[in-house]
Amino acid sequence: MNDYKAIMIGGSAGSFQVVSRIIAALPANYPLPILMCLHRLKHIRSGFVEALSIKSNLPIIEPHDKEPLKPGRIYLAPANYHMYIELGNRFSLSTEDVVNHSRPSIDLSFFSASYNFKKKLVGIILSGANKDGALGLKSVTDNGGLTIVQDPKECQVPTMTTASMNATKVDYVFSTKQIIDFLLKLA
Amino acid sequence: MVDNIGIVDTRNIISAVTESYGIDMSDYTFTILKRRLVNAINTLGSHSADDFTDKIRRKAISADDFLYVMALEVTEFFRDPSLWRELRDRYIPEICRTADSRIWMPSATSGDELFSLAIIIAEAGLQGKLKIDVNCPSDKHVELIRHGGSYDQKKIEVSEANYTRYAGKTQFASYYTLNDNRASMKPALLSDVTLEKQADILNANPGKRYKMIVYRNKLLQFNIPLYEKVIRKLVENLEIGGYLIIGNMETLEYSETSKKLQVVNANEKIYKKRVD
Repeated sequence: MNDYKAIMIGGSAGSFQVVSRIIAALPANYPLPILMCLHRLKHIRSGFVEALSIKSNLPIIEPHDKEPLKPGRIYLAPANYHMYIELGNRFSLSTEDVVNHSRPSIDLSFFSASYNFKKKLVGIILSGANKDGALGLKSVTDNGGLTIVQDPKECQVPTMTTASMNATKVDYVFSTKQIIDFLLKLA
Repeated sequence: MVDNIGIVDTRNIISAVTESYGIDMSDYTFTILKRRLVNAINTLGSHSADDFTDKIRRKAISADDFLYVMALEVTEFFRDPSLWRELRDRYIPEICRTADSRIWMPSATSGDELFSLAIIIAEAGLQGKLKIDVNCPSDKHVELIRHGGSYDQKKIEVSEANYTRYAGKTQFASYYTLNDNRASMKPALLSDVTLEKQADILNANPGKRYKMIVYRNKLLQFNIPLYEKVIRKLVENLEIGGYLIIGNMETLEYSETSKKLQVVNANEKIYKKRVD
């Protein structure tokens, strides 16, 4: 249980409240880095971190290209860039074309994180209105990591979680409270 | 269709590219390089990484075709509208106060940044007051940009919205013509521009000191050792007091050479050269 090196969360429409609840529940000394790839407006560069930070005990950062990944921080994929995790635990960013109508793309973030962390990654997919993230979560499974989706019955928009469950056999289907309890047990 | 390649495939291709084309990609950011290679394999009609490697070794794929499909696009005109406003209202007029001012754009691919720059210069009424030297990674890029580029409807829609946010002085549509649902920018915008192929920025030797270098979202492609070499090349070619502009989520924090620069606009990532 304590072998995990990182947690990656993907979400889109309807995920903001869920993410806010999750990060508000994590203590200031939470040891694992949380990597978040959330669909957002491409042209609005500021405000999202500030909104999420209101209830967070942990620093929330939009990583710059080549920034080293550090424990005890929450990283948010910046607007209009894809966010990758490179071998050696540094972020890289890319302006490549949109994937699944999205930049940042959840699939691309999950592909690189699962390749880097292999079985030491926990991947979580939350509420969302398209299928971005489904193949990404499958890559977490394929690399031996642990997968969680928010219970579609609880999601404001269940398209993303349902697509993820169709793409791979997920380990857990959790309510927001169960996701929080699980993450707290990892600490 | 190839979906993915591994480390061994990637290394084999890098080695073949070095042998056949003399281009060293061993210090490129792995994830981006891997994705670009997968794109190149599929676009250039190979059925596997081995087939692609073999074609490169036999030079069945030209260096120009390879570099054309490998190029990382910027993906929209007037990306980060607030930067272009700053350039139009402050920095471009400032550098035009000196005669013979030159701007260097060392790696133009799709042409979005170049045409954005050309438009703001035109809108500032400064056409003919400076020169822009542009390098492209392949001859195909040079020809494409020389003729105004070729952009799909989606890109034009995003760019129209960016142009509105930038507060342009006219309609974005006045800068392009449509043909078969693809847009080409008006080549007259490039009246101050010299286009030249240069596949590797480290081999570029423009022999000039520039008032401004625009190199946005290109450092993303490089690992730190190569990133440092590229930054050194950029700074060497910048006048003292000249400006270097990089992407808004890029940083010079990991570069020793960046000590020669000072930040003048942190949000838009505009740096000024302090010393040689």
